[in-house]
Amino acid sequence: MDQARQSIAPDLSKRLRAHKQSAPLKVRRSPLLRWRTMARVALRMMLHDKLKMAGTLAGVVFAVVLANQQVGTFLGLLHKNTMFIDNAGADVWVVPPATPQLQFGEPMQDSVLMRARVEPNVAWAEPLLYGGANLKRMDGGSQPVTLVGTRDPHKVGGPWNLVAGDVDNLRMPDTVIFEDAERAKFGGINLGSVRELSGRKVRVGGFTWGLLPFGPSYAFADYELAREVLRTDSDQLSFVLIKVQPDVDPSSVARSLQLRIPEAKVLTRDQFKASTIEYVLTSTAIGVTLGSSALFGLIVGFTVVALMMFSSVLDNLREFGTLKAVGATTWDLSKLLLIQAISYALVGTLIGLALVGQLSEAIRSPQLALVLPPALYGATAVVMTLLCIFASLASIFRLRKLEPAMVFR
Amino acid sequence: MIRSAVEIAGVTKAFGKGPNTFYALRGVDFRVDPGELVMIVGPSGSGKTTLLSIMGCVLSPTAGSVHLFGERVSGRPESELPRLRLSYIGFVFQGHNLISSLTAAENVAFPLQMRGASVREARREAEGLLERVGMDDKRDALPSDMSGGQRQRVAIARAVAGSPPLILADEPTASLDAQTGVLVSDLLRELAVERGHTVVVVTHDNRIFHLADRVVHIEDGQILRSAA
Repeated sequence: MDQARQSIAPDLSKRLRAHKQSAPLKVRRSPLLRWRTMARVALRMMLHDKLKMAGTLAGVVFAVVLANQQVGTFLGLLHKNTMFIDNAGADVWVVPPATPQLQFGEPMQDSVLMRARVEPNVAWAEPLLYGGANLKRMDGGSQPVTLVGTRDPHKVGGPWNLVAGDVDNLRMPDTVIFEDAERAKFGGINLGSVRELSGRKVRVGGFTWGLLPFGPSYAFADYELAREVLRTDSDQLSFVLIKVQPDVDPSSVARSLQLRIPEAKVLTRDQFKASTIEYVLTSTAIGVTLGSSALFGLIVGFTVVALMMFSSVLDNLREFGTLKAVGATTWDLSKLLLIQAISYALVGTLIGLALVGQLSEAIRSPQLALVLPPALYGATAVVMTLLCIFASLASIFRLRKLEPAMVFR
Repeated sequence: MIRSAVEIAGVTKAFGKGPNTFYALRGVDFRVDPGELVMIVGPSGSGKTTLLSIMGCVLSPTAGSVHLFGERVSGRPESELPRLRLSYIGFVFQGHNLISSLTAAENVAFPLQMRGASVREARREAEGLLERVGMDDKRDALPSDMSGGQRQRVAIARAVAGSPPLILADEPTASLDAQTGVLVSDLLRELAVERGHTVVVVTHDNRIFHLADRVVHIEDGQILRSAA
């Protein structure tokens, strides 16, 4: 460099001989390249201030964990109330009138079953008994159960998630399958234990895991045994469960059946689930309670992200002014902040969902398991991206007002 | 007739309104020829930085006209100013104003990429310029890992990157010690000569006046005299 310096004479005449730049530089319009340039600066700025990045990510992670934990709990509770409908194996349900959800109710006459079986497009129709019973404990106390009686437990209304015993055990006399998580409440029962169920001696033939609705846990028995325990007349039943022929729309069968059985309510599986969910939402405060907690998480996350991003902009105001002075537009700086917001959202969502997954496994129990469907993961990413973009708006408005002349002050 | 690099006619800049109006510039006429290195000097608050800001299209005049290389830049909508800055101007700021999260090479490459150069092209030119200013061993260093003089060299490389016809420098030696200040000013001059840039420098530093082709004195928002 010294050589170069010595080779240049300081006189004006030599400089005037040199080539003079006088034409404006060509500025190539390339939106993609601009995005790429601003993305690079955005990410470098994020990584440079690690403390702020960690703080912002913590806000996103907090929102993701709290919101997903609450929504997962809510879905888990809904699942408790609808899992039997999902696993009963029926496309269409015939239930007593004024049955808003899966619940004990006045039994129906078995003529309903006959009329269901003659309906075209019905592959099979089976009766189900569903009612409350009490298991007498050795200490003299009792514990309620929801007893399900089925003629063919492999086909309709049988137990699932068995951890001991076998579904076929229900074909053995006086055998009932109980919920494993309730064994202590039942006073300590094991396979082969003999207890009294609503005054009828029964033998424990197996255990399920996690079949705990809002009410008493499920217990499964053969249809005739359940009839005796529930003291239901031989011409009565709780529900009729129907499978439609392949490639037939269950809702069309349900409509036809409703005309044929006007004294009952005929619902497709989806309609029955929706009705049950609606009942839970409207008759309990679960939705409001968990929903407000999830909203709180989102609000806290939004506030943290907005404050952190705004604070970061204020800290780097001179640098943003410099970027403007050397040719970046307000839109270019907005791109920079949007890229940062989206990056925070996606990275925070990934970390948050990983934590929620771990949390879900850690707290998983028969009483409560978080339900985190893949759609919830996708929705979380979308919601957090929108949240972070909205959170960046205050910073974008601040940069809009930033005058590049401030770099000379 | 040679077209002026900068032509300012009757430029006034007022800040505030009503009785609180402050006139930073009062009907300034000013011209810089292509290839010229002009220094604007004057006491604090004399209007020299305001004049530089108006030349740099980062501040609009209240009245008067500004032309850069024959193109009128005053009175243009604000949305057009970034393009004008990219087309005509390279800046050297008082406090170097490098982006702290970008390396030396990335700082120099930034205006090139804003003008549409590919990442590879910009990187190549940036590395060449850093070599030219004696900073090739710091190309991947962050500004925080450089001395004041080194940062200002990188800032000069950024200003001349892409060879904009006009370089505007605001107190480029203010934050440097005497020796480094002279070295950096020398470098700015060398690059201007080599590459044919027109340079306008605002400075208080009389140790670098000898590098100028012309020194313009400004006071109370008016040009007092211009001396070769």
